[in-house]
Amino acid sequence: MQYLVETLLFFARILLPLVSFIIVFRSFRSLRNSRREKVPLISLYNKILRKSVPVMFWENSIGRSKSSDIILQDPTVSRDHAVIFRREKGWLVADTGSRLGVLVNGEKIKEPTSLYLDDVVTIGGNTLTVKRKESFGDGFDNSSLSADSVKRKKRKFSQKSLLFFVNIFHLILAFEIYLSGFRKTKGHEIVRDFKDIFDSEKFLWCLSSFFVVFVMSWFFFLITVIFTKRQNFELESIGIFLSGIGILLVGAEGIEQVYTQIASFAIGFFVFYFLIWLIKDLERAVKLRLAIGLVAVFLFIINLVFAKEYNGAKNWIFLGPISLQPSELIKIAFVFVGASTLDKLQTAKNLSAFIAFSAFCIACLFLMRDFGSACVFFVAFLIASFMRSGSIRTIILSCSAAAMGAFIVLKFKPYVAERFSVWRHVFEHAQEAGYQQSRALSYSASGGLFGVGAGNGALKNIFAGTSDLMFPVVIEELGLLVAIFVAITFGMIALFARSCSERSRSTFYSIASCTAGAIIAFQACLHIFGSTDILPLTGVTLPFLSLGGSSLVSVWGRAAGVYKGVGRQDLSFKK
Amino acid sequence: MKNSRKRSILLVLLVLFFLSGVGFLAFELYMNAANWALKPFNSHLSLNSLANAGKIFDRNSVILAESANSKRIYNKDDQIRKALFHTVGDENFNVATSIQSKFRDQLFGYNFFMGVDSPEFLREHHDITLNVDSRLCKTAFAKFSSHKGAIACYNYKTGELLCMVSMPTYDIENPPNFKKNTDGQYDGIFMNKAMSSSYTPGSVFKIVTAMSALEDLPDATTKKFTCNGTEIINGQPITCMGNHGSIGLRDGLRYSCNIVLGNFAVALGKERMEKNTKKLGFGENVIMDSMEVKSSSYELSSKSKDAIAWSGIGQDNVLLNPIHMLTIVGSIANDGVAVMPKLIKEVTGGFLHRKFNDNTQKKSERRYMSSETAQILTEMLSYTIKNSRISSLFSGLDVCAKTGTAEVGAGKKPHAWVAGFSKNKKTPFAFVAVVENSGFGGEHAAPIAAAVLREMCAA
Repeated sequence: MQYLVETLLFFARILLPLVSFIIVFRSFRSLRNSRREKVPLISLYNKILRKSVPVMFWENSIGRSKSSDIILQDPTVSRDHAVIFRREKGWLVADTGSRLGVLVNGEKIKEPTSLYLDDVVTIGGNTLTVKRKESFGDGFDNSSLSADSVKRKKRKFSQKSLLFFVNIFHLILAFEIYLSGFRKTKGHEIVRDFKDIFDSEKFLWCLSSFFVVFVMSWFFFLITVIFTKRQNFELESIGIFLSGIGILLVGAEGIEQVYTQIASFAIGFFVFYFLIWLIKDLERAVKLRLAIGLVAVFLFIINLVFAKEYNGAKNWIFLGPISLQPSELIKIAFVFVGASTLDKLQTAKNLSAFIAFSAFCIACLFLMRDFGSACVFFVAFLIASFMRSGSIRTIILSCSAAAMGAFIVLKFKPYVAERFSVWRHVFEHAQEAGYQQSRALSYSASGGLFGVGAGNGALKNIFAGTSDLMFPVVIEELGLLVAIFVAITFGMIALFARSCSERSRSTFYSIASCTAGAIIAFQACLHIFGSTDILPLTGVTLPFLSLGGSSLVSVWGRAAGVYKGVGRQDLSFKK
Repeated sequence: MKNSRKRSILLVLLVLFFLSGVGFLAFELYMNAANWALKPFNSHLSLNSLANAGKIFDRNSVILAESANSKRIYNKDDQIRKALFHTVGDENFNVATSIQSKFRDQLFGYNFFMGVDSPEFLREHHDITLNVDSRLCKTAFAKFSSHKGAIACYNYKTGELLCMVSMPTYDIENPPNFKKNTDGQYDGIFMNKAMSSSYTPGSVFKIVTAMSALEDLPDATTKKFTCNGTEIINGQPITCMGNHGSIGLRDGLRYSCNIVLGNFAVALGKERMEKNTKKLGFGENVIMDSMEVKSSSYELSSKSKDAIAWSGIGQDNVLLNPIHMLTIVGSIANDGVAVMPKLIKEVTGGFLHRKFNDNTQKKSERRYMSSETAQILTEMLSYTIKNSRISSLFSGLDVCAKTGTAEVGAGKKPHAWVAGFSKNKKTPFAFVAVVENSGFGGEHAAPIAAAVLREMCAA
């Protein structure tokens, strides 16, 4: 029996990296496949040049500038002259502060104006007639419907099998954890005592954890496919994959927090769908932006006033039995506040409101001594502001401001400077400031490529092991290979955000999606490198995996940010 | 929209940065895994790390430690167990510089691919064969009786460390109750004193002062000083055990005259003393099989001449490590070239493993002094022993040596030292012994060293 179990466990350990490789590979492939085909949505016929110009995106800038989506080489056209865009009610055109204005059917427009088929738009010396995309003829109009539907079916199938592999991974994990419960040490020996192998609480525990994750994953899959009719489930699959690892690894000890974790997982998923629904309507989302920003500011103020200090950072609020970290929820808000639609971007170019909001957030985090989150917000700010302005100057200025801020912090907060002092020397301070990192490295090395087996780890018993040191816990228990695949999935989330941004219905969504992707990836970055002494330890959580309700809910919220607003392909005119 | 696509390149940069960081982490882990995993605080190891580990042999294939039935068992002879406790080490990393602490990865069969929990059939336990001779160590241990201290002997041509014993010690299979440490008899019991401590050297340091004089003073062999038992240098009296009259370096070493050597140090001055001690490796760690030996130090309490004079006779703030002293006397015997000692002879077994012992096969050498200086010193030290009261101890062994009696103050008895070598080409052995708070070097340290050397030469 002992021999059989050892052999099985050995194969399980080898199998886990294989399955995780399949998961990563499959999601990468479907991420590539889901790229938008380059098909024009409508076209504009330029009478003077006798040429059709394709309109490729949901929002298109028109102007003389080379970076415009539709370039009109004509001195009468302003650099950023107008924006032609699609909303629920149909196609619209907006003047974005041009010198000579925009005329629709001969009338100068003041606000965004609807466009219909064969309408004539005058931009400077150019007259453009709105046409269907078919007017391009064979060259462009070849997106045959039948091929498309075959592809869709294929996608649906590959989504299912991806989720199926995620379930297999979790099942192996639960199995390993279950068997680890019989590991006992007799002096110097490891023995397994299988006396009560079936009527064990552990059995129930592992099975139920797996079962909960399994049921929830398919429940959400069905909701997605049936109700939202969305074809992509990669991001959810990745999220379920990672959250499941977190729940099962934490649950290995049967600790109570796993209830919180499972509940947060469910809440997170609902937040995910709620947010997707909430911002599906672009106009509603744009209107909500200000409100969300105000709520964020309000939350920060509440936090500063009421929060209690815990582990050196003052970022917890306790409401009776519930404790939560407002800064985690503000991360979601931040995603929206930075976003903006193209016509707004073209008219109001200054970033000062957004800069002020970001500065406020970061300053609050400093006061709360949550420097890790401050870094995350800063990177999110960089991405969002660059997406908005494209100005490298802003980035350089912000970075130098941040460097100055960092200098001041190091000078006046010895607590942070201490972390820097042990950085890259953790083993020399293994009993003091380098305690966590030295354990993290030592136990990571203990894991090797395949890990010591789920449930056999020792690192999670170290202080903050399941939150701040989650990545090393994964290396220790599941091995470096699985850990690398986990890390790659975070990179993929960011790339996925980028690919969504290209297909999205508005720059509002592009910016939000890139910001959300950046927050998730950068937080993973800080966590992974901080816990393994490549960067100083900042004590941020690993998105999806780390123990912590607020953070799990928040990361699903941000994932929603990544996801939204992917446009449909066929757009007819509303008459 | 084209713009936002273009600008989102920042995200790609972030991902690239992130993934390269993950790659760096994997690389770092690969390079340091064995070192990191085998830290004493790793609870995976304290559990069962040596339960199935490789064997440790002495140079004659005597088993010093092995694993059987998931237990670590040691040599059957309790005296050998005690004598080699600090060399072999225990299971809980208590002796930091022991084989079972420093080379646990080799014994344990740690491999990066499977981590610490690799199944038995994938483990690659290595057996480690040491250069030490367990019988010699047993002899040395028996001679120490209840004193604290250390002895180390090696072959100054090849670097093989033949004997290393540190006192106090205990029997690992019958550990005493450390809580009953009433007389401090267990103080420093986990420290290998030969490797990890440094003592006030007293008169054995005169070898260093003499070397320094021979290197830098052209008239070192002819220069004479007058010893009246006491000399006032810079207002402070330097005392000598005898009243040697007009005396030079050669007789100064023979009679261990403090006045001569003190004056030589003053004549050399602080800079030249520092330069020469640095040349001899003071302030640096001797590296023995990738283990660092505690460094000796030549630091003066003040710049004044009396401090320099006291340092010349091995007092003041001078501290000497026994293994380091072994390399110094070894270099005198080896024409001025020090061969660094090697504790490990070979590591056997394992096929996929990165070998750490590539460098242990190499002989590491360093010139400490000129060939002429070495020859003159050899003659002087031979003359010293031939005409000393302890010459009979070393009779027939062609020994060149110097004893030392280092005052440690605070009402304690002095440390007894002896350091030397056999100049016979058939028995190229050097030795250093230090006995803490015992008395005269000739009385307490020399007999231990002599017994070990005699047995070494007889083999």
